[in-house]
Amino acid sequence: MSTNVTIQHGEEINNSTGVSAKKLLMWTFLGSDVMFFGTFIATFMAYRNKSLVGPYPEDTLNIPITSVSTFVLLMSSLGIVLALHYLKEARMGLAKFWLLMVIIMGIGFIGFQIYEFSHFANMGMTPQVNLFGSTFFTLTSLHGAHVSLGILWLIFLLINEYRGNLNSENAIDLEIAGLYWHFVDIVWIVIFALLYLITANDGVPPGGIPWIGGH
Amino acid sequence: MSTISKPKQFQLPRIFPRPKSHKGLWYWLATVDHKKIGTMYGLVAFFWFLVGGIEALLIRLQLGQAESSILSPEVYNQMFTMHGTTMVFLVVMPLSAAFFNWIVPLQIGARDVAFPRLNALSLWVFIFGSILMNISWFVGGAPNGGWFGYPPNSSLGFNPGHGITYWVMGLNILGVASIAAGLNFIVTIINMRAPGMHMMRMPVFTWMTLITSVLIVLALPILAVAGIQLTADRIYGTNFFNSEAGGDPIFWQHIFWLFGHPEVYILILPAMGIVSEVLPTFSRKPLFGYTAIVFAGLVIGFLGWFVWSHHMFTVGLGPAANTAFTVTTMLIAIPTGVKIFNWISTLWGGSIKLNTSMLFSIGFIAMFTIGGLSGVTHAASPSDTQQQDTYYVVAHFHYVLFGGSIFAIFSGIYYWWPKFTGWLLDEKLGKISFILMFIGFNLQFGPMHWVGLNGMPRRIYTYAEDMGWEGSNLAATIGGFIIAVSVLVFLANVILSKRNKQNSGGDPWDARTLEWSISSPPPHYNFVEIPKVNNIDDWWYRKYPELLEGNNQNFKKQKIEVEDSSNVDESKIHLPDLSYYPLIIGIGLTIAGLGVMYTYALVAIGLIMVFWGSIGWSTEPVNEDSKEHH
Amino acid sequence: MDWWALNYGGNMSLLKDLFFYQGNKWWKIPETTELSENPKNEHPFGGFLEKAKNILLILSSGKGHAGPVYYWIIAAILGIITLIEVWWFTVPELRYMLAPAMLIFSIIKFALVVAFFMHLRFDHKMFSTIFITCMVVGILFFSVFLLLSAFHGLGT
Repeated sequence: MSTNVTIQHGEEINNSTGVSAKKLLMWTFLGSDVMFFGTFIATFMAYRNKSLVGPYPEDTLNIPITSVSTFVLLMSSLGIVLALHYLKEARMGLAKFWLLMVIIMGIGFIGFQIYEFSHFANMGMTPQVNLFGSTFFTLTSLHGAHVSLGILWLIFLLINEYRGNLNSENAIDLEIAGLYWHFVDIVWIVIFALLYLITANDGVPPGGIPWIGGH
Repeated sequence: MSTISKPKQFQLPRIFPRPKSHKGLWYWLATVDHKKIGTMYGLVAFFWFLVGGIEALLIRLQLGQAESSILSPEVYNQMFTMHGTTMVFLVVMPLSAAFFNWIVPLQIGARDVAFPRLNALSLWVFIFGSILMNISWFVGGAPNGGWFGYPPNSSLGFNPGHGITYWVMGLNILGVASIAAGLNFIVTIINMRAPGMHMMRMPVFTWMTLITSVLIVLALPILAVAGIQLTADRIYGTNFFNSEAGGDPIFWQHIFWLFGHPEVYILILPAMGIVSEVLPTFSRKPLFGYTAIVFAGLVIGFLGWFVWSHHMFTVGLGPAANTAFTVTTMLIAIPTGVKIFNWISTLWGGSIKLNTSMLFSIGFIAMFTIGGLSGVTHAASPSDTQQQDTYYVVAHFHYVLFGGSIFAIFSGIYYWWPKFTGWLLDEKLGKISFILMFIGFNLQFGPMHWVGLNGMPRRIYTYAEDMGWEGSNLAATIGGFIIAVSVLVFLANVILSKRNKQNSGGDPWDARTLEWSISSPPPHYNFVEIPKVNNIDDWWYRKYPELLEGNNQNFKKQKIEVEDSSNVDESKIHLPDLSYYPLIIGIGLTIAGLGVMYTYALVAIGLIMVFWGSIGWSTEPVNEDSKEHH
Repeated sequence: MDWWALNYGGNMSLLKDLFFYQGNKWWKIPETTELSENPKNEHPFGGFLEKAKNILLILSSGKGHAGPVYYWIIAAILGIITLIEVWWFTVPELRYMLAPAMLIFSIIKFALVVAFFMHLRFDHKMFSTIFITCMVVGILFFSVFLLLSAFHGLGT
């Protein structure tokens, strides 16, 4: 190294490992978030089937609606890898289109969640009523908060894309936002399995549950 | 890096102009320099150290005599809660963070941390979070549930009022600060090392910073969850710890100690790092068993996750769980012992220079060993059943946290002071303060061992006259005041040494690691030339290359001097410009936290400030004159 | 570098010895005097694993240059697994093993998103190390915790 090396900070600098510092930060943050959601999920699992009064999960959870919203979130994950791919190839039209789609799908997911929460409230399930309510609402609403934050972030990036500030050279900015978005998605994958599919089966008699018809 | 000119970057319109001058209050508020941030961390944390110390003295005054009534029981509860919380979250962690900030970039040969503005954010969030927590004193009583805040004692039914809510909100906001700092240091250490500095050539303090940061990043989210659950219970009426609705208060204990035990290692690992720097320097020997010390640190960091239930031996988890946790807890003694023996072997045969810093480090080894041994006695669950909630436990964790962490931090202060300021602290006053602290410390916490074994309970505001505990408690109180005198001597030392400055030069101790290869105090860009590293303790072997060839007879003469930064063309060194957005986000977050307790209007104001700060942050260029942006 | 050369280039680690097949490597069967090669397709599951691995290799070869088609395939797999999950839930006869099935499905989906959408499969090894370390610590940690709460007071 010569004297007076120029160094930019928080940028893609030449560094000891050769990986982007921003990406490293994001991965480390995701590792930290694993513990955050891990604790909430562990709380949920530890309090599973311990509610003293209803409404119980099998009465309230609406699997068809949630399946659709799960599917929407999964596909938004596809959208963002495509947006990133096209951005890296500098095919800006497609990149903008997919980013917009991701944002729409994200807002759709939040819409489903709002609908679901109000539906539950109408059925008398609130965070105050029993343990299932407490654990369910804190976990899903904090996940929703993560999604909302992601949407704001992606909108900010989309505006940058339209203004020409986000292009193939600094695709890393979209890449780390994408990592965050995928992480929110995988958390939902776990939530869907544990909080919805498995929990909705708790306490269900062998005959099945009302909305399916059953035997 | 590409220099293709980009389209004009959008910038959030500024309400205040971006500060330029490197002087005055505005500079300190907007600085992103890791050294200034470290200084502010240190000053604020030292202020809280004094506050926490006064709280401790009041507790000791109350306990000095049987059935005294200096503090009412209510105030006593608030005192010990805030003493514990302050010392853990507002003193030891941020003082360690001050050292991380100051030393780590210098030790790895970097110009700054990886994300300077994120670093400033950690600082401001910490400062405002600590203020938020202490506001509670003035608005109807401080938190009084102990530093662990067990429900149902801390739930609304038994503890109405805002005290505990302030505590939880404060912890959550401080958690944000710690996580941001932890992430920043992980990236800095992994990614900003000077060329040639492999992981196994890093100074031990940097290693311990890395392990501590990993622990912070993984453990603090758990505290955040516990905090959110308790807040939700208190404010929104959820049922997490409400046994009437089937909730389980034991659950809080699990989650709190899931966080709480890694936290113990967050407090002690930086201290171990400091000691591992001081001992070799003043023994003029390489650190004995560098690899073993690093791996012992890693093992402690890993095992620390699987021992939390030893805080809950008397809860009734059952013999199976208690046995398992007894075993894992005792396993921790192995890596800790490895470290202790390595430090002792470092001293062995060295030409030891007993100055203040070294005395504090040696004091650390002795006190930490005593604390560690008493720790082993309550790692065994049967004997812990006797010791739970007695002063024996208080003695134990003060021996490891005061005799351990604080001694090491003082050692670090005396060791790195010339690097921070460019002048030396007075050795005579320093030694007086060490001797006073050593005597006072042992006088205060030594007797707690036997009054504890004799059954004196913790967290009880007084005791009866005929228990036979008065002599020991009086000794402890006197010891507490001797420590206070020793801290005053330290402050006097700082003031007097500043008055008759004794210039230190860049490398006053003939030390080993890279931070001593530059002038003191370091220029804002740290290294004129980024060093190229070939060895562990690279600076030492650059000074005395003949040592590498096995010639250790006459290495008296240094081959090179510290870097001269008087004739440097600073215009070619680009460092990030000042930014006030971290400050705004810090204030916004604290206002939002306050609003959760009182009114949503404040939450809205706080979130708007956070939003404003984040957008401003991400649209402002790192350097105004360059085309780069973040 | 060639994948085969990387994995079978003579420096076999214990892990690779255990998990990759080449000749007599699957189960570390003690070598006999004949030193005969295992017959073709005599791997576990009749060569299915070998074929699946080859397909995955083709799919995931290259350093992050996977194209959109490839992302669509992954998304399709994810969608199909979600459909299977929901279908499984609606069949009363399969209810008794719902929990393990859902766990396995969600782990598969999790792994697919992390490995391919998040590019961990192609990216710097350090990212995998960081994320997997956190996952392992988290999972171990919370499993112990759930065990403790499930068996509160065991042995008293």
